[in-house]
Amino acid sequence: MKLKLKTVFVLYFMVSLLGLIYALMQLGKWSAQSGRGKLEVTKQPQKQPAKPSLSTIFVITPTYARLVQKAELTRLAQTFLHVPHLHWIVVEDSPHKTPLVTDLLLKSGLTYTHLHIPTAMDRKLQEGDPSWLKPRGVEQRNEGLRWLREDRRAQPGGDDQQGVVYFADDDNTYSLQLFEEMRSTQRVSVWPVGLVGGMKYERPVVEGGKVVRFHTGWRPSRPFPMDMAGFAVSLKLVLSNPEACFDGEAPMGFLESSFLQGLVTMEELEPKADNCSKVLVWHTRTEKPKMKREEALQAQGLGSDPAVEV
Amino acid sequence: MRESVVESEHKNRARLLPKACHHLVKEIFIIPERLAVHHQQLSDDGVEGKREAGGQAQDSKEYCASDKDIVEVVRTEYVYTRPPPWSDVLPTIHIITPTYSRPVQKAELTRLANTFLHVPNLHWILVEDSQRRTSLVTRFLRETGLNYTHLNVETPKNYKARGNPRGTMQRNLALRWLRETFNANSSQAGIVYFADDDNAYSLELFEEMRSTQKVSVWPVAFAGGLRYESPKVNAAGKVYGWEVVFDPHRPFAIDMAGFAINLRVILFKPQAYFKLRGVKGGYQESSLLQGLVTLNDLEPKAANCTKILVWHIRTERPYLENEGKKGFSDPNMEV
Repeated sequence: MKLKLKTVFVLYFMVSLLGLIYALMQLGKWSAQSGRGKLEVTKQPQKQPAKPSLSTIFVITPTYARLVQKAELTRLAQTFLHVPHLHWIVVEDSPHKTPLVTDLLLKSGLTYTHLHIPTAMDRKLQEGDPSWLKPRGVEQRNEGLRWLREDRRAQPGGDDQQGVVYFADDDNTYSLQLFEEMRSTQRVSVWPVGLVGGMKYERPVVEGGKVVRFHTGWRPSRPFPMDMAGFAVSLKLVLSNPEACFDGEAPMGFLESSFLQGLVTMEELEPKADNCSKVLVWHTRTEKPKMKREEALQAQGLGSDPAVEV
Repeated sequence: MRESVVESEHKNRARLLPKACHHLVKEIFIIPERLAVHHQQLSDDGVEGKREAGGQAQDSKEYCASDKDIVEVVRTEYVYTRPPPWSDVLPTIHIITPTYSRPVQKAELTRLANTFLHVPNLHWILVEDSQRRTSLVTRFLRETGLNYTHLNVETPKNYKARGNPRGTMQRNLALRWLRETFNANSSQAGIVYFADDDNAYSLELFEEMRSTQKVSVWPVAFAGGLRYESPKVNAAGKVYGWEVVFDPHRPFAIDMAGFAINLRVILFKPQAYFKLRGVKGGYQESSLLQGLVTLNDLEPKAANCTKILVWHIRTERPYLENEGKKGFSDPNMEV
């Protein structure tokens, strides 16, 4: 068969085009393939960009400068980076934004908002104060709420916007399942928290799908005897109650109640984590690193290079 | 003459056809593969946060409100494949983590897994200090989706009581497993790193250690009672000492989290293990490394040991007094 050169080139072009289309299709398929692993089944989350109907989780984290801050925020960011449609609102307890947090957020790959507000001197914990003496992060969480309300007011949808608000302290430990549990929050959802309140876990007690009381080791008569990490609030509720915020003057342990009291009743709480039978978040705390040798060196003027960020 | 012209035309066409076929093969098979690799590199870049130029130009929206000095950055690229697809070109990082049962164990392992799920070609060797593999750790590992090996060996009580460092037998078991599993002559590139379950690791650290030829080293924050301990690196890029206060004359004055070893080195020196007995405090790392390398062989990473990419932190023991003597909470609920 005699093939004209022109025919060859036309054929060549057509097949190249088909090859390109094939390659693009394969790209779509291959990106959903699982990694090699020693498991029978690997559940793959969707590779396509998140559907618009997936509600955003707004995570409000107060933070303050101390030795372990960068380590804490680094591993927190690594957890959040796995969660689709998460917007991290970091509020520094500081009169101005610090370069450490600014850089960390820039490099994190997350969607974020960087805020700052200093705690009033009389509310601040002093050196040597026990951690429970004064409530921490109050102004910062309230500032996060204020920004969120202002920002969302400008968005279409008004008070009906989809979203969930969660207060995540920077030293706790969060499992990835927790964020999927909270995404369906209609008003206020609740779940157990591990290693808090002097117990292995604290949790709401659920009967017939409703919260009837709270399993807690300390002052169970509080309106909401829960830890900050044990609940999430729907964005709708936050926007439609613009006065709801944390009360820094509330007695010890009543901070969460001061916020939730105006928003919801116990009957309206939505239990998650398998009717509050699984621990998906832990109230861990990090030790203050021992710096005796460093302090001794600094006294001699031989301290470590302060230009090296820790 | 005319015939020969026609003949040569035929010959040209005959030569062109194989060439055309060659191009077709190239386009159909080779380019898709290249695109797939490029895509993986893109997702790696996204994960590593190396998105200074590209990300900010295209995907992010940044504004500064002058009155409140607020910065909001919106990124539209997410990486959801957990863990990242396995690559045929990256060396595997074998992470050896000893662990033991205590209330914070599941929390520690959870956030460690959340870190590891970002790292391509990671193989986690988790070794329990226990008589039997516990159901907590077994179930946990299965649910993470990571590539793992689950081992266990119990430290004898008298060893623990004498104040010996934790995790020695567990790390040694993992080294033995590696030597039994991998052939010294195989081309399987690997790096071995000892990661305790309560430290914090940046993602950059794992990419730094991937290029280890023998043993690479870097600074560790909060080790040895200092802001950080670091190897001393001279102008030629060689390690010549240790910036530490506690016993700087140790052969390797470095924390467990401050070095990584090429798998080949582990396999070619099968007698090298962490010494179990008679090891002075702070000498555990030296007991392994002095059997493997000299100071001169060490490769400094993290910008010639000027950046902190790992933090030696500890988690507080939780206050559980309200459980009382009998235990208040349901023991069936896993924490």
